[in-house]
Amino acid sequence: MLVQALIKPNTYFDSVSLMSLSTKANQIDGVEQAIIAMGTEMNKEVMKNVGLLTPEVEAAGTSDLIIVVKAETDELCETAFSKINDLFTKKDSGKKGKSDVKYSTISAAAENNQDANLAIIAVNGAYAAREARKALENDLHVMMFSDNVSIEDEIQLKNLAHEKGLLMMGPDCGTAIIGNTALCFANAVRKGNIGIVAASGTGSQEVSVRIHEFGGGISQLIGTGGRDMKEEVGGIMMLDGIQALEDDEETKVIVLVSKPPASSVEEKVLAKIKLCKKPVVVWFVGGDEEKITAAGAHFAKMSKEAALKAVLLAGADESKLNKRALNIPLIEEVRTKLTAEQKYIRGLFSGGTLADEAMHAAMEKFDNVYSNIQRNPEFRLKDRYTSQEHTFIDFGDDEYTQGKPHPMIDPSTRLERFIQEAKDPSVGVIVMDFVLGYGAHEDPVGAFLPAIIEAKQQAEQEGRHLEIIGYVLGTELDPQDYDEQINKLLAADVTHASSMQNAGLLAREFVVKGE
Amino acid sequence: MSFVRNILSGDVDFNKRLNGSNFTGFVHSAFKRTFNIQCFDSGELYTIACRSIDNAPNTLIVDTENTSQWNIEVNDRVFVEDKILYISNKLALNISQAITWESLLPPYPSNEEILLHNVRWAREYIDCQGKGGGIKKCSKPLNPFEAETCKMLEQRTKSLLNNLAMNRIDLAIKHAVSLVGLGPGLTPSGDDFLTGLFTTLHMEHSPLYEHRSFCEKVTKKAKSFTNDISYSALEQASIGKVRESIISFVNSLLIENEDDLILSLNKVLDIGSSSGTDLALGLVCGLEANIKAGGKPC
Amino acid sequence: MSKINELFKSMPHVVNVGIESFKDDLLQQGAQVIHLDWTPPGRGNPALIAALDKLENPAIMQKIEEANKLAVERIINSQPVLIGYDQAINCVPGMTKTTILHAGPPITWDKMNGPMQGAVTGALVFEGLAKDLEEAAELAASGEITFSPCHEHNCVGSMAGVTSASMFMHIVENKTYGNIAYTNLSEQLAKILRMGANDQSVIDRLVWMRDVFGPILRDAMKLNSNGIDLRLMLAQALHMGDECHNRNVAGTTLLIQALAPYILQTDYTIEQKKEVLDFVASSDYFSGPTWMAMAKCALDAAHGIENSTIVTTMARNGVEFGIRVSGMAGNTWFTGPAQKVIGPMFAGYKPEDSGLDIGDSAITETYGFGGFAMATAPAIVALVGGTVEEAIGFTTQMKEITTEQNPNVTIPLLDFMGIPTGIDVRKVVQTGIMPIINTAIAHKEAGIGMIGAGITHPPVEAFEKAMLTLSENIH
Repeated sequence: MLVQALIKPNTYFDSVSLMSLSTKANQIDGVEQAIIAMGTEMNKEVMKNVGLLTPEVEAAGTSDLIIVVKAETDELCETAFSKINDLFTKKDSGKKGKSDVKYSTISAAAENNQDANLAIIAVNGAYAAREARKALENDLHVMMFSDNVSIEDEIQLKNLAHEKGLLMMGPDCGTAIIGNTALCFANAVRKGNIGIVAASGTGSQEVSVRIHEFGGGISQLIGTGGRDMKEEVGGIMMLDGIQALEDDEETKVIVLVSKPPASSVEEKVLAKIKLCKKPVVVWFVGGDEEKITAAGAHFAKMSKEAALKAVLLAGADESKLNKRALNIPLIEEVRTKLTAEQKYIRGLFSGGTLADEAMHAAMEKFDNVYSNIQRNPEFRLKDRYTSQEHTFIDFGDDEYTQGKPHPMIDPSTRLERFIQEAKDPSVGVIVMDFVLGYGAHEDPVGAFLPAIIEAKQQAEQEGRHLEIIGYVLGTELDPQDYDEQINKLLAADVTHASSMQNAGLLAREFVVKGE
Repeated sequence: MSFVRNILSGDVDFNKRLNGSNFTGFVHSAFKRTFNIQCFDSGELYTIACRSIDNAPNTLIVDTENTSQWNIEVNDRVFVEDKILYISNKLALNISQAITWESLLPPYPSNEEILLHNVRWAREYIDCQGKGGGIKKCSKPLNPFEAETCKMLEQRTKSLLNNLAMNRIDLAIKHAVSLVGLGPGLTPSGDDFLTGLFTTLHMEHSPLYEHRSFCEKVTKKAKSFTNDISYSALEQASIGKVRESIISFVNSLLIENEDDLILSLNKVLDIGSSSGTDLALGLVCGLEANIKAGGKPC
Repeated sequence: MSKINELFKSMPHVVNVGIESFKDDLLQQGAQVIHLDWTPPGRGNPALIAALDKLENPAIMQKIEEANKLAVERIINSQPVLIGYDQAINCVPGMTKTTILHAGPPITWDKMNGPMQGAVTGALVFEGLAKDLEEAAELAASGEITFSPCHEHNCVGSMAGVTSASMFMHIVENKTYGNIAYTNLSEQLAKILRMGANDQSVIDRLVWMRDVFGPILRDAMKLNSNGIDLRLMLAQALHMGDECHNRNVAGTTLLIQALAPYILQTDYTIEQKKEVLDFVASSDYFSGPTWMAMAKCALDAAHGIENSTIVTTMARNGVEFGIRVSGMAGNTWFTGPAQKVIGPMFAGYKPEDSGLDIGDSAITETYGFGGFAMATAPAIVALVGGTVEEAIGFTTQMKEITTEQNPNVTIPLLDFMGIPTGIDVRKVVQTGIMPIINTAIAHKEAGIGMIGAGITHPPVEAFEKAMLTLSENIH
């Protein structure tokens, strides 16, 4: 190995440029190591420690920029230096092509880009409806991430979109996959023949990654926004979405995901399903099996079940699937570790439907389940800062975000609550989701890791076992490193659940006493 | 014809300096959003920065988006005439309408409870959101050099803080000096960390306030260990003068308002590449050392 | 196939509004993304958004679109031709011996700024209505002088725009629609009446212009029965690197080239003719006022079309910036405070010496050249910050607040794109993009003159007031 240095006397670059230069220099082919740093005594000392000190470096002054390259041959060093020099001289300007033209209005952007076909609206709710209307008028499909849009506006926009044959996904729609492209918060999944229409974002994320895990793929994932299935809106987008998937050649199976719809809307949707030639799987969290099967649809009680039914209907061979059954010995083992006082589940979720699913699993066995998203007001949390018996919290709910970014981006509020719950001796298990994919935090598990380790140690010192279930919602194709996230959980002695369904069921089973 | 721009705001000392006598100097270094000028007489560095940069000691903020458009070059002559600061024949900066800004740190609180909570919170937040590679460990070092740098920074900051908390000032000075010039970036991480730390020693009534001469002692010894630009910031910090974003952050550490805290901390974290994180950690460590020195468990 | 199924078959090509990180995620997946430079419409003011919404009601919108189409057609189709020169008293409607016309929206003597007061007193001395500047100031304050905006007399006036009875005027006839526009002659640079200078040298020059320069031009044009097609000449000048507001090198050469043969044929002495040619050669600005009259002539033809939201006037009196809108016939002005002009200055002057934005010359931007055509004048990009890219950026940005591109006047550098034409009040309020104006900087005090040049923008208030009034008046 050769070490060569280049000194640029009295040269100052701002830190951001230096960092990016340094990263790029280390990526040059044939370079084992490249260092770009100011020639201070201390930096020279570091270089000495790692065997990179050359006479030139030693002679450099504090205002000189040092470039050191370590490579196999002289030639490689030379090429590296010339490439690094190129990096230094490359200016920002000169590449402003047509793509850099700035537009201030949707109309201007659409008029000048005839291929544009979809608008993502993520502005303050007070202005969002107006922008969406402009987009629809310009024949653009709309995905509206904004919330706080009035229901009157929503109805008007959806009617306009319906008349024009356009998608009006949202308001408050965070997840869609169109033409194999994830929009806003969605996971990178295989392309395939299962189409999803969903009124709930994380619910559809969960179903899509389960389908991916079972070896299936997604043709399209259409989001409708959470209020589509309300009486007033009448499921306009859900019905149009079903029709579009029915007409789509690539889609073989349709999956519907929603919280329980208003009954009038449910009737409309079920009537629509009856007319569908393609098989339809319905997962309405807490939905009514009888009605759904009567409509000729396939009923799924939980998310994994919905995904499984979909891939089987799409032609998968059941005998070859790993269905990831619940780990019964593990349940036995955890039960023995918990004391009689450790009775309660605390579910801390960044995804609303994930919270809902886990909560419904618990409600099947317990009647003291509280949440900020309980439909029965009697079981709504009295104080959002204080848990009651079994508690499930959706931190994406407005009352917890309070102007902060969504918990999938900013973990702080949930992290604080985790620390609090971990200290409660009546807690048997804490269950949490960690959502990966586009739009999400770059290292959601990492953000919790120090707190998890500390909490576990603390509990041990107090002589109790703190059981934590972590579920990582993601695929190996996501921008974050899926395996690394799971490994981080395992390394901290967290029980990793393979799906949200399993996470919910494990949590429930861990705290069942005397069965 | 040269370009004429208004100075929006400026540091009180710099303003006095410009208004007082005939200031002359030359351009020392130029970047996209700032350039530095060196005064002939004192050799001190002054900064001219664009709107997006915050106020800072010895800095003037110009009404512009970037400073690179004027082709300011190193060694361009700088002089003042009639309340106009001329940079060669390229740029004329009108000082007369500038709003004066002064670096003023709040006093240390008598009741540390809120501070304690906020400092803890800030440390957690920086652990999640800060940029690694300097004082904050890098999860994936680019190369052995970076790994070694991080290791040395960690050891030396730890030694410094331990000695400081135990009032062993002479040893603390030794370890502080060993941080100067250490680390990546234009302002080496060690310097940024010290800048943050110095800030906390200049909060009046703080437990370590009586030891604030520590800062000047370190700086005096450090002159030859780092570059002019970084030294200039360190020198100012050693007499308690730091940039606006740091002061806002310190202020929000003293009150109960998490939104303020997030906003002001994010402003600091946005400085440079890892500089902001290094600064913020220096500040947090300094406050922790103060709390410890004041006898409270931290 | 439905539009939704068409979407399924193609890759998403996204217009992203709001959160920018969504754009980065999409680019990472190889999708096409246009990220909007978005701000809340009407600066987020609910009354303005309501006004915008009202005008977007389909029935109302159709009326407006039709009216605007007509207005813009009239601007583009206008063919202004220079047909002659004469003294104001002989041709300008409503002109009297004691009338002083000025730039911008209406203003009273006591409110005028330094440069305009300087020009007024100078003009009164020049007209022989006062023996010196002091007496002129008394007269101006006495109420015996009628002050009126140029724009309300089919005129425009550059800078202070002060126009008095015996000054010679361009006469520009709209061959398409028949209306006529006027403006006085360039005094060249820089210590001149329109910039507020008024010492004896200024008065002497005005006298010579009245007695020699003006008459020669008048008599020359009498010999040219076809007149000079100014739209054609403007288009040529733009191709030669002028934006025809702050750069007039090419335009002046073209204009004097057209005038010279007729000047030679007049009955004045060789010496006098040489004086005229020397005077024209002394500054590139000679054709500056000519283009203003040309623009005024076209825009007047588009004024007063019911329901139109097209801007037909932008003008400043040094205190207020006023606009007129086609749909509000007559002299309804919407005003806001005049702005500072930012740009390079002559050596020795400082920004605080500057008077605020002044003059009717923004009529050129109203038509679509000047600042709107910066892309065609790379030689003066120093005014806008230094790069040709920025200059191109200004022109392309103006497309967002205008209605049409004028095919008769084009910009070679942008693939012969027509200049952005027909500023729409709705679009300005909606996007928050303000028209860009190139202009000169006058010293804030009377008697000094021009001290620099640069760019400025109208105050947003003028457009917001216009928007609210339009929404009340269009049903």
